[in-house]
Amino acid sequence: MTFGRFLSDRLGRIILWLVCFAAAVLFLAATGTQIDVLIILLLILLLVFLMVQATDYLRDRARLRELESILENLDKKYLFTECVPSADNFYKRCLFDLMRRAGQAMISAISDTHAAQRDYREYVESWVHEIKTPITAARLVCRQVEGEPRRKLDSELAQIEAHVERALFYARAESPEHDCVIRPTSLSEIVSQTVERHRTLLMQSGVRIETQGLEQQVYTDKKWAAFILGQLLQNSARYRGDTPVITISAKPLAKQVQLTIQDNGIGIPAHELPRVFDRGFTGSNGRSRGGATGMGLYLCKKMSGFLELDIQLTSEEGVGTCVTLSFPAKENLTRM
Amino acid sequence: MTRTSKIMIVEDDSAIREELVLLLENEGYQVFMVTNFATITDQAIREHPDLILLDIGLPGQDGFALCAALRKAVSAPVIFVTSRDSGLDEVRALSLGGDDYITKPYSVPVLMARIRAVLRRSIDTSEHLDTMEAAGVRLSLTKGTLTSAGRTVELTRNEMQIMVCLMEHTGQIVSRADLLDALWDSQIYIDDNTLSVNMTRLRGKLAELDMPDLIKTRRGMGYQL
Repeated sequence: MTFGRFLSDRLGRIILWLVCFAAAVLFLAATGTQIDVLIILLLILLLVFLMVQATDYLRDRARLRELESILENLDKKYLFTECVPSADNFYKRCLFDLMRRAGQAMISAISDTHAAQRDYREYVESWVHEIKTPITAARLVCRQVEGEPRRKLDSELAQIEAHVERALFYARAESPEHDCVIRPTSLSEIVSQTVERHRTLLMQSGVRIETQGLEQQVYTDKKWAAFILGQLLQNSARYRGDTPVITISAKPLAKQVQLTIQDNGIGIPAHELPRVFDRGFTGSNGRSRGGATGMGLYLCKKMSGFLELDIQLTSEEGVGTCVTLSFPAKENLTRM
Repeated sequence: MTRTSKIMIVEDDSAIREELVLLLENEGYQVFMVTNFATITDQAIREHPDLILLDIGLPGQDGFALCAALRKAVSAPVIFVTSRDSGLDEVRALSLGGDDYITKPYSVPVLMARIRAVLRRSIDTSEHLDTMEAAGVRLSLTKGTLTSAGRTVELTRNEMQIMVCLMEHTGQIVSRADLLDALWDSQIYIDDNTLSVNMTRLRGKLAELDMPDLIKTRRGMGYQL
């Protein structure tokens, strides 16, 4: 607050006072008060008046600064009205009280939303766990069916599982600190578990997988990394070419280990590449082959952020797609 | 497998339980399923299973405490089955003496592979030999060689796994799908065409041993040793 703004706020009252001073001076002069006395009186009055205005200004400015610094230091700024000291006069207190009531209404609305969100997340998680039992039962029953119907059922079940898994990780990615445990993990274990999990899809797609140099240790969460890798394998199998080969290889690079997943699939058009990690983006391949959700790579990107994992995708139409994941190989994580 | 292993199933979902019994019996295991969940430990002591498949999400019970009690009572290995796959659970399960951990929904080949692996680790290790012999050939698993009548050929990893799978089922027909499953179990992720290529090479090597017809092709069914 500048002094000018302060004065302009009080302009009406200041003019009124000055008019009163002038009227009093005129009255005293008319009733015969000596001009010397009048000047002294007027000077004293003006001096007192100016001092009052100046102290008011300084006090208001100090208070405003204090309030600003409180707001500045608050983590959740909407709790501001709960944290400020009470005002010094009744009118201001009433104003503040109004603000506080408005603020409280908003805070309770926000905490309701938070609670609803948390409930929803918990429901999704428990739902996912519940649904796994009937899926498992269906998988077992499926073994009694022979031939083509079994193959088809198996692949439908694998798709259901993939969708369920994405839903679970979508819910988990909202609050990663609950689930993510970073520790030294063997890369080959992540790869073999993921391949095992997506075996139905991969085998039915006639995919051959070649692995190279996976005997590395990385710092990551095994389940999350396996999920990310799983999305990539599913993509490679879904958008495969004639004789699909997926090469999974790893090489150490300074403080990182680079895991490369290279396929010889149909590839992604160059103009779509910048958007592949966008939420809900399916692209021309996804639309023409159907079944794309636009969530897989979005989740990969989001989750790799939490794992401090760098994810890069290059692709050429008709040649294949290559995704590189750079895992931290040393315990130099800052956030988790 | 020289004798049938007995597997005890602790699973509260009746559909899964019954299917598991069928499936495991078809695979040649002896199965005991628990239907009374109040006295699991006593039943385990009475039945002497070779392996326990334990669902840790039993209603009204702490699966971890149950596992600890089971480990104290019997020496059989325990495979946990759970639908909850948070990382902490896994650490806890394995630290409590679980031998393996599998999350629902598991696929059947995966479950079978885990069961076989755990049984192989626990049941007398002498059965897990370095060499296998069948139909007049001797396969050395450590050297990766196949020997017959004094002649020896070297096998690649893929060829060796194919040979192992066929020798484990000597006399039986092994379908291409079963062979692929077995190879994927051993982390050899090949497709059907590559299997054919490997098969041809393996037969070539068998021809060097003067046994070109050792592996018979049963049209539309698979292979037979």
